[in-house]
Amino acid sequence: MIWILIIVFVVCLILRFPIAFALGIACLAYLLVKGIPLIIVPMKMYSGIDVFVLLSVPGFIIAGNLMNHGGLTEKIIKFCNHLLGHIRGGLSLVNIGASMLFAGISGTAISDTASMGSIMIPAMKKEGYDTGFSCAVTAASSTVGPIIPPSVPMIIAATLSGLSVGKLFLAGALPGLLLGFGLMFTAYFISKRRNYPKHPRSTIKQIVLSFFDTFWSLLMTFIILYGIIGGIFTPTEASIIAVFYAMFIGKFVYKKLNLKNIQVILLDSMKTSASLMVLVGFANLFGYILITEQIPQTISSEILGFTTNKYVVLLLINILLIIVGTFMETIAALLILFPILLKVALAVDVDPIHFAVIAVLNLIIGLTTPPVGVCLFVASSIGKTSIGEVSKAGFPFLLVSLIVLVLVTLFPSISLFLPNLFID
Amino acid sequence: MKIHKFIGRTLKYGTLLSTWGLIATVLLQVICRFSWVDTPSWTEEASRILFIYAMSFAAGLAMKSSYYVHLEMFYNRFNQRIKRLLDLLIPWVSLILFVTMAYFSVKLVLLGIPEKSPSIRINMGFVFISMLVLSSSICYYLWIEIRGNSKKPKA
Repeated sequence: MIWILIIVFVVCLILRFPIAFALGIACLAYLLVKGIPLIIVPMKMYSGIDVFVLLSVPGFIIAGNLMNHGGLTEKIIKFCNHLLGHIRGGLSLVNIGASMLFAGISGTAISDTASMGSIMIPAMKKEGYDTGFSCAVTAASSTVGPIIPPSVPMIIAATLSGLSVGKLFLAGALPGLLLGFGLMFTAYFISKRRNYPKHPRSTIKQIVLSFFDTFWSLLMTFIILYGIIGGIFTPTEASIIAVFYAMFIGKFVYKKLNLKNIQVILLDSMKTSASLMVLVGFANLFGYILITEQIPQTISSEILGFTTNKYVVLLLINILLIIVGTFMETIAALLILFPILLKVALAVDVDPIHFAVIAVLNLIIGLTTPPVGVCLFVASSIGKTSIGEVSKAGFPFLLVSLIVLVLVTLFPSISLFLPNLFID
Repeated sequence: MKIHKFIGRTLKYGTLLSTWGLIATVLLQVICRFSWVDTPSWTEEASRILFIYAMSFAAGLAMKSSYYVHLEMFYNRFNQRIKRLLDLLIPWVSLILFVTMAYFSVKLVLLGIPEKSPSIRINMGFVFISMLVLSSSICYYLWIEIRGNSKKPKA
């Protein structure tokens, strides 16, 4: 009977049904065939969304959008330009550095590609960088966002597993920095070989002034992290404090927000969040069916019957997640696969926090994996070039991302060091 | 046309009011914790209900503005005729899902009427109406899409 669920879901995905609806239709078909009362559909939708920690998802999305409309993207780029612009291929480093700083605020890779790309890709093209390279750097750098806290995929992983959001946020910080610096090194190496331009060195005064210009927005990430890790706020409270703070800064410091555009931003952010929550609701029903059919146990015993070697199991999971991440949206893939794979990972003694980082890292690397990585599409459409050219130029960045993935998989301490240090 | 505008405005203001309510409730929770006033016991439950309502109102608007992500990989390889067929088929099949959900949401509301929420003591039937709002608003915008598709000239 479970085949009905799987086949209907896959067929609906192929036919381009929205992923959330594909889950719902597959569940409906299964419930009808099994004769299970359909009242379970709204019940599971309700119980899937009725989770306190999920309130932080719209909170962080609203805060990110408020900051972005408050002119933050330009300020961060300006600050990074003063800091890194004098190095060969400076703008590519600025692109990655700004993504690392912006990451803490936007929290999603696709929005990072779109907002950063719309400024950085034309600027890089104007200075003589290859279009493919400009798009590839933008796409690759945006994958740092969902790892560096605050991260929406990490909140979803916490909701699915009952893990601490604070621990997951901290666990993603070092892998995110490793990925960011790895990408910077690659961009520098390529820029040096191609003799890409560099800007004159900025004075200390210029750097300090642009830092103070960005300071208020960067402080938001600090408040969020300090509040959650220090046990002052729950993640939900931290997200709403971030919203209040972003409104205050946007209105009174940057003076770019007014009641009218705040309403537009709120509405836009809630639409994004609602599309995610419908997905979460149907995934809850989907997960319930999988559990009643004992699918996680079956998959777990199948994999463990094949091998009980921790690293072979992790390798298999990595390959599966990268393939899925290539064509499926990160949150959707996480909702469907994370609970099943976590069971397998726990059976071979992988720390759940470490596993959550591996899962999110895999899925976001998928976003820039050719031929269908979503960020590649967004960047190529901004740069008005072919996806093939961006994929080709993005290969060195993909290679570095995969090396970081291998390191994070093999050395759990990269993920667990900060949570162990700060949270008992 | 008037009904269309009314539904759009209701969903928009419903989303905004619940969102502002959610922000205010969580802020109140934080402010009370750091002041001499005890945090009211109802804030967590109220914020959860406001969140669910905000999501339910916004779900239809998300449908209207095409916020639901899908997989483009295979669709892009289909020829125009199949694409056109799928564009007609997808809203109809989705409509079946959400009409079913709306129908059973009414049953859920009726089931919830005798129940009260633990801390606010609000009728659970009222809380479950959010699922009816979510499903019926998506139904409405799917129906608008179906009507729009039927008016499009054949390729």
